[in-house]
Amino acid sequence: MILRFLRNKVVEVEPRADGTLFVSWRLTDDLMNIEIELDVETPSLEIAEARARVGRLAPKAVREMAGRIDRVEGVTIGGGLRKIVKGLLTSEGPGSIVADAVLESANAVILHFTRPRIQANEGANVSEEERIARSQAMIKFNPRLIRSCIAYQDDSPLMKGVDLSGGNR
Amino acid sequence: MIGFNRSQVIGAEFPDEDTVRFTGIQEDHIYGMEILMEVGISDACIKSVEGRMKRYTTFVCPQAVPVLQTAVGLNLREPGWDARVMREIGRKGCEHFAEIVIECGRSFDLAMASRDLAKAIEEDADLDQQRFVDDWFENRASAVGA
Repeated sequence: MILRFLRNKVVEVEPRADGTLFVSWRLTDDLMNIEIELDVETPSLEIAEARARVGRLAPKAVREMAGRIDRVEGVTIGGGLRKIVKGLLTSEGPGSIVADAVLESANAVILHFTRPRIQANEGANVSEEERIARSQAMIKFNPRLIRSCIAYQDDSPLMKGVDLSGGNR
Repeated sequence: MIGFNRSQVIGAEFPDEDTVRFTGIQEDHIYGMEILMEVGISDACIKSVEGRMKRYTTFVCPQAVPVLQTAVGLNLREPGWDARVMREIGRKGCEHFAEIVIECGRSFDLAMASRDLAKAIEEDADLDQQRFVDDWFENRASAVGA
């Protein structure tokens, strides 16, 4: 059976020579194409500039919201971002795709910084015990991981020895 | 050089009058996952969902596959349905599975609008397509009270 709708979406994070990050989020499907670009300062992770281009048959709400993307300039990628971005743009109807694009771009920035740490945990020479120890070190470094998914629930083997109140148990 | 890249591909087919079948693929430098999900057109509820984890970061991650079944019955017209998916499937299972289920859900109206537009063009080759799409979403918003 053939597809009646097909969506392709790509988000990329590219470090620039001046230390800033360039984030490109692009979507194309049967009805619309959207391109969002963010310039992100480091280490503050402040969104310095935001641009959007919308084409094809994007619904009116999407076209209107894309024109307001500069509202996220000055916002910092960090705690409370979801509420801030949804407040500045919209979380309702088809126009919410612009806020979602900004949030997905911010998530990609976080994963850009996470990738080298995960890569360091890989390799044939790393034992299972060492891998668990490294995961636990990552949890200590980033407590927001706790209960963020099944791997970091209280009863997970990766959480054994991790004191949920702050230290080691 | 690119530091991180993620691609999502969502496809929608209409196997019968009351079903949209989504296939969702997410590949990035870290994770690789797939979702197959069916949604009822008349009630906007998830009928079934299956997931395949191809690349993940811990040996615990595959335990998230059965958690996907909590999405069955979820209504995509319910306010905050996407936050509920992230809470029930993402936090209790896998965030990346949740991301694909949410993207399939967000494609629900677009897939139907796309199908309806294609039918309308078959009947009227000179159709004002932009107007059709704007009217479709305006009528949909009125119908669901958004």
